[in-house]
Amino acid sequence: MKNIYQLLTCLILILSLSNFTVQAEDWGVPSSAKKKHNPYDANVKNISSGKKIFNINCKTCHGDPGKGNMIHLVPISPTDIGSQDFLVQTDGEIYYKINKGNGAMPTFEKTLNDEHKWMVITYLRSFDKSNRRSEKLAEVKNPEVTDVKLDLEIQDSSKYILAHLTGMTKKGKRVGLHGIEMSFLVKRNFGYLDISREDAYTDDNGKVETVFPYDLPGDREGHVDLLVKLTDDAFYGNLEKSQIVSLGVPTIPVNPLDERAMWGTRANAPIWIMVSYIGGVFVIWGVIFFVLFQMIKIPRLAQNKE
Amino acid sequence: MNDLPKQEETTLSFEKIKKDILHPLQNHKGLELWIVFLVTVIAVCGWAYIVQLRDGLGVTGMRDYVSWGLYIANFVFFVAVSLVGMLISSILGLLRIDWITPISRISEMIAVAFVAVSGLVIIMDMGRPDRVANVIIHGRFQSPILWDITVVTTYLMISLLLLILPMIPDLAICKNELKKASPIMKKIYNVLSLGYINTPSQHKHLHRMIKTLMVLIVPVGLAIHTVTSWLFAATLRNGWDTTIFGPYFVAGAFVAGAAALVMAMYFFRINYKLQDYITDVQFDYMGKLMVAVCLVYLYFNLNEFLVPGYKMKTGDDVHLKELFTGHWAVLFWCSQLLGNVIPIILLLMKKFRKPLPLMLISIFVLASAWIKRYVIVIPTLLHPHLPIQNVPENFVHYFPTGIEIAVTVLSFALALLIITVLAKIFPVVPICEIAEQRGIEVKIED
Repeated sequence: MKNIYQLLTCLILILSLSNFTVQAEDWGVPSSAKKKHNPYDANVKNISSGKKIFNINCKTCHGDPGKGNMIHLVPISPTDIGSQDFLVQTDGEIYYKINKGNGAMPTFEKTLNDEHKWMVITYLRSFDKSNRRSEKLAEVKNPEVTDVKLDLEIQDSSKYILAHLTGMTKKGKRVGLHGIEMSFLVKRNFGYLDISREDAYTDDNGKVETVFPYDLPGDREGHVDLLVKLTDDAFYGNLEKSQIVSLGVPTIPVNPLDERAMWGTRANAPIWIMVSYIGGVFVIWGVIFFVLFQMIKIPRLAQNKE
Repeated sequence: MNDLPKQEETTLSFEKIKKDILHPLQNHKGLELWIVFLVTVIAVCGWAYIVQLRDGLGVTGMRDYVSWGLYIANFVFFVAVSLVGMLISSILGLLRIDWITPISRISEMIAVAFVAVSGLVIIMDMGRPDRVANVIIHGRFQSPILWDITVVTTYLMISLLLLILPMIPDLAICKNELKKASPIMKKIYNVLSLGYINTPSQHKHLHRMIKTLMVLIVPVGLAIHTVTSWLFAATLRNGWDTTIFGPYFVAGAFVAGAAALVMAMYFFRINYKLQDYITDVQFDYMGKLMVAVCLVYLYFNLNEFLVPGYKMKTGDDVHLKELFTGHWAVLFWCSQLLGNVIPIILLLMKKFRKPLPLMLISIFVLASAWIKRYVIVIPTLLHPHLPIQNVPENFVHYFPTGIEIAVTVLSFALALLIITVLAKIFPVVPICEIAEQRGIEVKIED
């Protein structure tokens, strides 16, 4: 009898423990969802924008695909989603998981739109070693080049910024590199503001342009720090060019400490509080000193009593 | 007891008053022993302060969250007690209430001692007291701390003047009567009495000055405790962020001050054998006064806790629950019941307004007043708006260390020493005013 109880207890324990792990692992993807296909091409553009979305939404937990530098969580750490173990799943399965979430993995059903989700999947597929098709598509069709250069052309009057990406071919000819995404960034107080146009990919001549916003404040002279860089460092490394341009709206900076306020320095105290304090001190201490002065009279009054 | 003495006895009676009141100044052995005791306590606790100076505020229990601990609670208490000078000798004095005459000087002595030490308590709370002048040099007009330093100094000055000026006639008597006094004391009596010989013009002049100061101290007295409350109320913290903190503190101060005064009255009545001057009448009225100020304070407490307790908005809820039923409940309810509700009920009965029962009740009221300040200062600091996380264990709780307790004892010993020394060199009951009140002619020889 006793043995049976022990056995039962053991069974319950094992079951409950295994149940726990199963719960965390079991996504329960319906077979209909698995059949869903990625409607987007695995081209450079899509992979690149997928990478951008991935870096913003997924990287903090999952780390870089294929590098295994994910965050460590209990009971289960996030998967390295660039690993082959993960990528054996169909696009539909990954799509379902992004949508629904499970345990610590949040749902992205409402956070990302369909296009963005598929872009992320496209990006992940570029790590799939068994998927030759995507690799071929993902290739950049630019000739092999050395000495890649990024040149900027700025028109102050129209606030037009043109970036020109070129490279030297083996034959010694400088050619434009096309289909590369470029980021146009302007330095603000706490980081960079992206002013790139949508689809900021270089054209066949290796050129991409953007228009500097007309209402963006600069310093007194309208200077701003402009930084133009390749969005994805996978092609030509971390190529960037920074330049001070006078495209901003000239703005005289306002320091909140310059105005009279409760939070200001002593010199910038509100007038009413200075008047109250100094006035109060003068009145009260004036009376005190008056009384002290009056005390001198007492001995004198004793002398002329009669 | 208020039977007017017959005309032929008047000179004798004035002599008797002088003798009764001046006698303990020179013939009180116990008082010297008491001073020795206080000096010893100050020496021992002064060492604790030196340790704090040497090693810094790390020797206290104060950390990042509770950065105002025992010292600031004690400071608020000292400021509160000092307000009794304004209540008794100014407000009641200006209303021409005559039973306060024998106790007005004691109340001024308490005021001077406690407000002087309250300033020292602030300096004791500083890790770098050598930088105290920076408050004046770099002080901002917007900061309640500058205001606080200003009002504490001003109140001390006016209280000192209100102690000395009404005492000038008595000092003239001391100069003539206390033949055994040391040469230094004789010099002090001589200088401070300002050649007063009670001519009508001197009398009129002196009383005009006193009247001016009595009016002046009312706004300053209100300011000192209102500004002290602003040190708290000007911050956005649960339990402090309230509009009634000023009057709430003033009302609480009257309670604490009245209790301290009753205890001092009882002490001097017994030790200085002043039963004929500090009579049951004074105790009876003080008991009634205490009921009145306690009722005002109770009313403010009701507003202070019932209104936020009804709404229980986020932040306040944690704070109030901790006070009402949580970690601070025992201290909180002790201070409310023993220091406020029960004294009100007891003091409604005449037999509890007799000297001894009233003095015993006052001990509870004063202790509760001290605890109340502690409960106002520390729990709020332990409930910040941002969650406390990833901090060492000793940041999360606060309990004063031995050093802090010793330095606090030092402040009490200092205040008591100041009162004792004042009562040792100056008459604690105004001789001339008592005589004038009883229709006895005051004679001061030239």
